[in-house]
Amino acid sequence: MTEQGAAGQLAMVFDLNKCMGCQTCSVACKVLWTREEGEEHHWWMSVNTQPGLGTPKGWEDMGGGWRDGTPVPGHQPTRAEFGGGWEFNHQEVLFGGRGRDTHLQPVDRGDGTTRWGMNWDEDQGGGTYPNSYYFYLPRLCNHCTHPVCVSACPSGAMYKRHEDGIVLRDEAVCQGARFCMEACPYKKISFNYVRGVSQHCIACFPRLEEGVAPACARQCPGRLVFVGDAADPAGPIHRLVHEWKVALPLHEEYGTGPNIFYVPPLSPYRLHDDFSIDEETPRIPPEYLESLFGPRVHAALDTLRDEMARVRAGGTSELLDTLIVYRWHDLFGPYTVDPASLDRSPERVAVQLGRARVGATEGE
Amino acid sequence: MTDLTAQELGAEALAPDDPAWNAAEAVRVPLVPVPVDAQPNAYIRAAWHDRSYGATPSASVAVATHGDRLFVRLEWDGSGPVAGEFPDACAVLFPAGDGPDTPVTMGDHASPVEVWQWRDRLPVQEAIPAVRHLVSTGPGMFRPGAADADLAAAATVDGTRWSVVLAGPRSALGAPARVAVAVWNGANEERAGIGAVSDEWAAVQA
Ligand code: SF4
Ligand code: SF4
Repeated sequence: MTEQGAAGQLAMVFDLNKCMGCQTCSVACKVLWTREEGEEHHWWMSVNTQPGLGTPKGWEDMGGGWRDGTPVPGHQPTRAEFGGGWEFNHQEVLFGGRGRDTHLQPVDRGDGTTRWGMNWDEDQGGGTYPNSYYFYLPRLCNHCTHPVCVSACPSGAMYKRHEDGIVLRDEAVCQGARFCMEACPYKKISFNYVRGVSQHCIACFPRLEEGVAPACARQCPGRLVFVGDAADPAGPIHRLVHEWKVALPLHEEYGTGPNIFYVPPLSPYRLHDDFSIDEETPRIPPEYLESLFGPRVHAALDTLRDEMARVRAGGTSELLDTLIVYRWHDLFGPYTVDPASLDRSPERVAVQLGRARVGATEGE
Repeated sequence: MTDLTAQELGAEALAPDDPAWNAAEAVRVPLVPVPVDAQPNAYIRAAWHDRSYGATPSASVAVATHGDRLFVRLEWDGSGPVAGEFPDACAVLFPAGDGPDTPVTMGDHASPVEVWQWRDRLPVQEAIPAVRHLVSTGPGMFRPGAADADLAAAATVDGTRWSVVLAGPRSALGAPARVAVAVWNGANEERAGIGAVSDEWAAVQA
């Protein structure tokens, strides 16, 4: 396994107890980064209802990652497995005189892309009435500590940036071979068919460099996305991950050392057949959460429950105060600059673009 | 060593079916899979060690010149126009230095290889050039070559049989003049170092 040492490591914590599945994060990312031709089906940030087959369809069964220091062969998700990026029959319905005998719908090109899309299985979830359950899982590139995507690229187009550990690709070097897409166990790399290059979340690095938090985090109305350096002992991420141990990586067994962490979702108790409350059993099956977040999820949930009980009994909880986020900026560590306050004159933007290019070259 | 004779055509002959090609001698060049052990990283070796690839047995190769332009026509049986994730592709390889030991399997760090690569394209990929100039330092270890290489390509397909002409500066032929070719079967997800390449450099008599 290639050890990709970095001086710093950007990390994020998503508190799933506060995520309402509004997709503001995914749309903020889409509007900012993937509006060009060839990126129609890209969702570098995706939010899926769990349990579900996810984005791309069935990604958890596609292989990739590391096992015992050896890369695990993976499946390259197809355009159909991502789905989405549809064209609609606007012309036919609005101007083609067929408004009364057909309806607005995606144009089926026979390639399977109209039968799946980001959060396609949004309204399914798990369990049966009255014990149905669901929660939302926002996902982006984990900017992994052992990025198997970087190791799999034959062209050296991908690299892990030294100063903050984010994983980037020099698109001028990328040959579109897509071994990165196969190797990434989280299937967070998309292919741009128009330009012939792979693309993935860039952690909003041009924003980070100006002290602005990534768009997904800053736009989140649930105010649940912490951003910072995982190793900063004074920051909330370090405390949530390493001290309270309530924020866990997704599928740690994939072996890539993800740097996106999740506070797992608590849930109401199950109901017995007679609708009395089963105070022993949470509605979201703990074994399902274990399948996502590993065996440490039980202790994490216990900690959350204990802290809530303490506050209910009149006590205080530094952990819950942290998760409540009384002050919005407490989420963002050193990245609290308001993007609207930046100088966005053409001259300044040209300097920034030049710097971004230099950064890409230096990292090779 | 296979010998190829570069025929002076008296005219540009980018179209594979240009009658000018009748004057050029087509030679059957045997192809072999680029060995899996030579692949550039552990991921690719793990993913392909038990998969068959590079099974295209040979390509028919003709070489021609006109003035300072070099034309190479490759004909082989592939999988046909791109239907899945990866296209059929082919390339002409030239040793970038004059050392005798440049690996025909797309070079190495000490002995890079110049690559002119043609790929079939999806209709949405018209903005991508049909031919790329690459510098290779190992199987599939392609980096962009000089952008001003002035390459061109034209292709026809009859079922699964491709006929592709790659054209570029004659100066790509070093001294001694040697070329190799590579083909990738898109339906088998072949790309980068996963493909078939000439079993040895062919000498070109100009
Ligand atoms: S999540 Fe995937 S693409 Fe992102 S760094 Fe990890 S392996 Fe690479
Ligand atoms: S914006 Fe926030 S609340 Fe909305 S889906 Fe994304 S993470 Fe969840």
